[in-house]
Amino acid sequence: MPIIVNLDVMMAKRKMSLNELSEKVDITLSNLSILKTGKAKAIRFSTLEAICKALDCQPADILEYRTRRD
Amino acid sequence: MSVKTDYFLKALHILAWIIFIGVSIEAGGFIFNLIFTFLFIAKGDREFRTEVDLSALYHHNDRDYITIISLMIIVAVLKAIMFYVIVRFFHDKPYNLDQPFREPVRRFVLNLAYISFGIALFSSWGAGYSKGLVKQGVPLPDLQTMKMAGADVWLFMGVALLVIAQVFKKGIELQAENDLTV
Repeated sequence: MPIIVNLDVMMAKRKMSLNELSEKVDITLSNLSILKTGKAKAIRFSTLEAICKALDCQPADILEYRTRRD
Repeated sequence: MSVKTDYFLKALHILAWIIFIGVSIEAGGFIFNLIFTFLFIAKGDREFRTEVDLSALYHHNDRDYITIISLMIIVAVLKAIMFYVIVRFFHDKPYNLDQPFREPVRRFVLNLAYISFGIALFSSWGAGYSKGLVKQGVPLPDLQTMKMAGADVWLFMGVALLVIAQVFKKGIELQAENDLTV
């Protein structure tokens, strides 16, 4: 998928672990892992808002569009 | 799963078992009848009589007798297979009412649809064949007695199940997408 999730990059910048983020955002570790590994098909605005709030960043810091090279 | 649903499914499981045993005995009876007839009953024997009385047909023509009883056996065996599939489904429990759209459930519905089409095809064939024989003046029991009635109902059931299988296919996609929505 041409949408890249840079959650791990932002977490590293903020020095935040997956467990910590999971507690702050109030979503399960498995769901957070799905998002982090790029397996997610969609993300709710509420989840994005919570992540942005917890990591003190913008949606564009987490999501990135890259053209597909075939 | 609620207790009420659990009881309901258990009752359906038991019902499926009872019907499966019934249709298996019926199919076995027809097969035994065919073998027994050719092994032990001589042509023109007046004592020839079974639950489904095909003695007139037996005395009329061997080929017609074999055709009709073979169609009866095929229909009965297909019914037995259908209920075996249902019993297996309840036994293996591949369903989950919290996430009902699953591939094994879709395959189960699809299998039932194909078996239903098979029963419709052979019932219809048997009905047409026996109609032709009755026109020739061979006295035959009615289709209900020969367990070949209701081909149109089986066909309708097959179509309905095929539609349900398609709905399940779409449901599985939607459920997978929903599961991967964070």
